[in-house]
Amino acid sequence: MSATATITREEALARLAAIVGPEHARVEGDALRVEPADAEQVAGALSFAHECEVSVVPTGGGSKLAWGSPVAPEIFLALDRMHAVREHAWQDMTCTVEAGCTWAGMQRELAQHGQMVALDPLWPERATVGGVLATNDSGALRLRYGGLRDLVIGMTIVLADGTVAKSGGKVVKNVAGYDLHKLMTGSFGTLGVITEVNFRLHPVERDARTFSVVAQYATQLAGPLAALLHAQIGPSAVQLRTAAGQCALDVRLCARSECLDNHAEKLRSLFGGLAVEEADERVWQARQQLFAEPGAVVMKMSVLPAEVCTIADAVKESAVAKSIDASIVAQATGLMTAALAERGGAKSEDAAGLIETLRARLRPSGGSVAVMQMLDALRGRIDVWDCRSDALAMMREIKRRFDANRILSPGRFVGGI
Amino acid sequence: MLPQSQIDELRAAVGADGLITAESQLQTYECDGLTNFRVLPGAVALPRSTEEVRALVRICARHKIPFVSRGAGTGLSGGALPAAGGVVVSLARMNRILEVDIANRFVVVEPGVINAHVSQRVAGDGYFYAPDPSSQSVCTIGGNVAENSGGAHCLKYGFTVTHTLALEVVLPSSELAHFGAKTLDAPGYDLAGVFVGSEGTLGIATKITLRIVRRPEMVQTLLAAFATPSAAGQTVSDIIAAGMLPAALEIMDTLAIEAAEAAVHAHYPKCGGLLLVELDGACDEVEILMREVRAIAEKNGAAEIRVAQSEAERALIWKGRKAAFAAVGRISPNYIVQDGVIPRTALPRVLSDIERMSSAVQLRVANVFHAGDGNLHPLVLYDREIAGQEEIALDLSYRILNLCVDNGGSITGEHGVGKEKQQALGYMFAEPDLATMQLVRCAFDPEGLSNPDKVFPRPRLCADKPGPYEPHPLEKAGVAEIF
Repeated sequence: MSATATITREEALARLAAIVGPEHARVEGDALRVEPADAEQVAGALSFAHECEVSVVPTGGGSKLAWGSPVAPEIFLALDRMHAVREHAWQDMTCTVEAGCTWAGMQRELAQHGQMVALDPLWPERATVGGVLATNDSGALRLRYGGLRDLVIGMTIVLADGTVAKSGGKVVKNVAGYDLHKLMTGSFGTLGVITEVNFRLHPVERDARTFSVVAQYATQLAGPLAALLHAQIGPSAVQLRTAAGQCALDVRLCARSECLDNHAEKLRSLFGGLAVEEADERVWQARQQLFAEPGAVVMKMSVLPAEVCTIADAVKESAVAKSIDASIVAQATGLMTAALAERGGAKSEDAAGLIETLRARLRPSGGSVAVMQMLDALRGRIDVWDCRSDALAMMREIKRRFDANRILSPGRFVGGI
Repeated sequence: MLPQSQIDELRAAVGADGLITAESQLQTYECDGLTNFRVLPGAVALPRSTEEVRALVRICARHKIPFVSRGAGTGLSGGALPAAGGVVVSLARMNRILEVDIANRFVVVEPGVINAHVSQRVAGDGYFYAPDPSSQSVCTIGGNVAENSGGAHCLKYGFTVTHTLALEVVLPSSELAHFGAKTLDAPGYDLAGVFVGSEGTLGIATKITLRIVRRPEMVQTLLAAFATPSAAGQTVSDIIAAGMLPAALEIMDTLAIEAAEAAVHAHYPKCGGLLLVELDGACDEVEILMREVRAIAEKNGAAEIRVAQSEAERALIWKGRKAAFAAVGRISPNYIVQDGVIPRTALPRVLSDIERMSSAVQLRVANVFHAGDGNLHPLVLYDREIAGQEEIALDLSYRILNLCVDNGGSITGEHGVGKEKQQALGYMFAEPDLATMQLVRCAFDPEGLSNPDKVFPRPRLCADKPGPYEPHPLEKAGVAEIF
């Protein structure tokens, strides 16, 4: 345990084992790993940590554990034992899922009644519901269905002091009380531990086809992209992919099968001389592949939707000048994921410089760049979040009220929260 | 009442024409759409800018004067009910649309902008602002943000929070803060998401960035007449089960139809349960789906099916629906509008329970539902002149809310908790839930000045610790009871 802790590791292990059972608490590396079975055990473990002032990081599949500023906690609270789909009220199109359920596992159960949570996060086979929520991840489907703010209708959380609280409910339309679940979404485990989530559901996209258009520069696609979003064919997903040399725009059309040919025809007409080819569904994995590039810094950029193509080209251009390979997958909503990989000759300060230049460019329009996958060489050189919001003081005050002893993921989030 | 020195400070902040203190004029502000609660404010201030709002809030913070922000005062839960002797901050004069960005699909507005004006402003470009509360021709965006307003079309398009990208907020300390951004997922907690729907208890929004939506190529509206609301409800479930997401699905029962007919002559068929289905989207797809809807309605025994043949016919259908609350005044001297939510599938069970409960106390209940999302608006009809009937009607309306909670639903789908449903919130949420929500309140407003004594079932101080429920000293002494 750290210098501030009031308890030895052996004592802590014994106390935690008494709460979750000895087979579910153990030493792992420099930390303890504790696996609670339910919200009550989560509350027990947190009360203990709160009282003894030892730090806790909640974890599910561990796929995004490195996101945010680094934390070396004394306890990892692993929620993988809490993995049940508790209820699928398919006629009401809602479900209740435990936080440790993997995203894909949940979707497989919901698919039995032709339904889904309409969100396509990274690594669905590994990522858990709680982790996806805590990091507010989302993919290309966000264009049609919105983000987690629009899909989560209720939540159970455990606060640092062991209080178990619910917000929202099991109905989609509900304005009773504050929406604590919106505060928790994207809070990176700094305010409480999510133990259960209620979602609104959508029908699985039965009749969908994907098309791709290739161009040399993203800016060549800007006009057609704007026309596509204005056209009356309502794509369910649109993404721009750029890598060395060329770029492509992928469009997923989803409509009644009788209409798909007609919509595909309309789509083709928007692209002038560029060829619109039917593409494999696997193109939608492109965002995930960016994280697999060895030695790459991966960032999440928020830009205005109409600037997606211009920014993509600009990133590529400045990367080339610094001998960096830049690959980008951008959603039509303005959320971009970019991987920067150094080639021979490039230095890590070049990548840091590129990120700072980008931040300066995006800031005036409210845009931002957060670094998700960091290189060790860059640590300390660059702020992961770069949050300059005048709301930071309020965020700190909320953190203080929720977690006075700063035990939950301390330092991981914006402004050292 | 406010001391003269504080009145002078307030007047200096907003100018002589921006402050109302004469009692006759203050009476205009003593209630909102929930008219059976009335409180006279100490003063009403009408700021013209964010700076003036900050100046007002600074004065309130310094002297610990409670303040209540107000838009058009159309809210139905008493959210804009003044605090006794406090300041009402009316945002009516901050009514400019500041920015329209069609390429990025957003607008920036001041809080006093009327909901329908946003859609009107972008209609020429083929866009609209989706949330459409029935009061949309007069209610303001600031009020919509406070209440997280919905409307008939939120089944498909979502609520105010779905369409709020960013907020400029004057905090109860008078500090200015910006939540969210014109881009998605700005780093930090989603304070815009929490602020929307907080019913004026976390500060005053002075600029709002709203998402606008492409106007669909085609809109078709169908009316189907059924023998009972439950048959109409089954049709709704079948439409959803077929994988459709209509723009709106509304049900009215016999009494509501009768009232709407009396008020606006919408030419509704006479029946036990009237279903309104609106589909929108690409022409070819809407036509295919409308055929499916028709088949489902026929299968469930619809006696009559009509599709609006013109925009005028469609508008008339909606006029009848949107006028339904007010129209009930034609068939009853007084009535209470309620707003509960249930899981869609509980509809038949809940309807028969409401019928049983209302006949037990010999009162009539008219029912209007946003059926697609299980949002019920039972209208309890009564006559204030008959001694004791108002109390019975109020009691019935609260018991209907409890019934919604017992069926896995909520005490409010769009009207908010406000003053009216504070105790009902305590029925829906347990003490630790409320104590946790209170942590947010205390972070924003430790002095409890912004719309005090609303939403939460009992007043509490920010020094209170969350944890197991402890009775209030008054409760222990048997002086008061917490329901």
